[in-house]
Amino acid sequence: MSQRKSYAAGTGLFIVLGFAALVYLATQTTSVVNSHQGASYTVEAQFANVGQLKERAPVKVAGVRVGQVQSITLLPGKDVAQVRLSIDRKFDQVPADSTAVIYTSGLLGDQYVGLQFGNAKSYLADGGHLVLTKSTQPLEEMLGKFFGAGGTADAFGGSYKVNAHFTNVGTLSVGAPVRMAGVAIGSVSDVKADPVKLDATVTMLINGKYNQIPDDSAAAIFTSGLIGSQYVAIQPGGSPNSLKDGDQLVLTQSAMQLEDLIGKFLVNGSSSGNNAGGNGSSNQPAGKH
Amino acid sequence: MSARLGHENVVIGSLAQIGRCGLFLLRILSAVPRSFQHVRETVRQLWFVGAMSLTIIMTCGLFIGMVLGLQLYHVLSIFGGTSATGSVVALAVYRELGPVVTALLFAGRAGTSVTAEIGLMRATDQIAAMEMMAVDPIAYVVAPRFLAGLIAMPLLCCVFCGLSIFGGHLVAVDWLGVDNGTFWSNMTANVNVWDDVINGLIWKSLVFGAVISLIAVFQGYTTPPTSEGVAYATTRTVVASSIAILALDFVLTAFLM
Repeated sequence: MSQRKSYAAGTGLFIVLGFAALVYLATQTTSVVNSHQGASYTVEAQFANVGQLKERAPVKVAGVRVGQVQSITLLPGKDVAQVRLSIDRKFDQVPADSTAVIYTSGLLGDQYVGLQFGNAKSYLADGGHLVLTKSTQPLEEMLGKFFGAGGTADAFGGSYKVNAHFTNVGTLSVGAPVRMAGVAIGSVSDVKADPVKLDATVTMLINGKYNQIPDDSAAAIFTSGLIGSQYVAIQPGGSPNSLKDGDQLVLTQSAMQLEDLIGKFLVNGSSSGNNAGGNGSSNQPAGKH
Repeated sequence: MSARLGHENVVIGSLAQIGRCGLFLLRILSAVPRSFQHVRETVRQLWFVGAMSLTIIMTCGLFIGMVLGLQLYHVLSIFGGTSATGSVVALAVYRELGPVVTALLFAGRAGTSVTAEIGLMRATDQIAAMEMMAVDPIAYVVAPRFLAGLIAMPLLCCVFCGLSIFGGHLVAVDWLGVDNGTFWSNMTANVNVWDDVINGLIWKSLVFGAVISLIAVFQGYTTPPTSEGVAYATTRTVVASSIAILALDFVLTAFLM
């Protein structure tokens, strides 16, 4: 009988232990933890871009969770996101001029709202507004700023194609920028040798925003800096008509070859390349001494 | 010629085995209401297959969690994502490792002993004696063991998962220095109670428990009444259970995901 009792008790203990483990796993290691919340108050913040922020994402002050995102809606009639944050009643001393910033935890982590405290003496109350916000920084935008090219927004008109013939394109390659007044307005989409005219045809894609370029503008191939990459510069003309898709730029200035320039400079442009070459070769033995 | 015949015999033999197993399941299920007269026997079996398996389950769960924490930390540190260690340990354990490893251990620890016990009852004519005394052996011997396995598996699996999380925490946080708060908050952010704990853990372990118990009692009940037959039946329990667990795991994952 006593043996029977002992296994009955042991079995009961086993069952209790198993269920306790289940309850622990279900309530302590899952998202159920986050859905439980005590008394809280709601404040609103408006962001230009909420990125990947999700409902129930944490709201943190100095990295400590103080609440969660309650809802994300579009402000009616505007392209602004309205985010309602529910903040724990415990943390009721958030200055009214605090800044709400959307951060990403880690490189691949989820996004959360961080509150940076301001200096105001008054505190946020239920239904309050966070006026100062900082949106997410999309990675593409940051990279664009970093590389200097993609900072501008693309026009929804897309881009149009313009051709130009050059006698010499130098080292111009596909993807090189097309600049007007030093500002990138497009890029080179194709560089080909023309089999009939025996020169180079350069196809440029120019942003549809810039549709007022006169059609007698000149295209020149310049080098950015002394050893920089080459780009196509558009020098506007005076025609009242503007460039359209498929147009050709007639006035072109080819790439300057350094050797040509030096040759022109040294022998006043009139002498042949042979002479310059001879100079070069005769210098070599001297250099070796 | 004889080889081809042998192949056919193997195919037909295993088909027949599966068929007999299914019919046996129906017999057990029909005997379950009658087995409630012998609740005490079910409790005794629950003690034997469940509570007595706790030690091995807890030890293995701890080590599985520890090795997961160690491996994941080193792989995730390549990507600078060690903060995800907690959630990946939890997801891996809840969805796959917990139910499967518990089931394999359960088949080895409890399934074999059930097969051997029933097989020896068969070999020593105890089952025949019960039938002569008008005691239904299905209701008195087989059904309680089946029910005990069915109940014990999910509970064991929960304990296993709990210990795995603990082991992962031990290695990742206490040893390798992942932040404690990050470990838990990442886990709670990514583990869903319905998808991962209920669907992943409970359903899978229930199905595994039923399959292992069925194979174990079936092999024991139909064993040839010799000592050699009992030995073969025990081996077959482990082999068949392992294959069934791993195959069913795939099917269940495909359905429950």
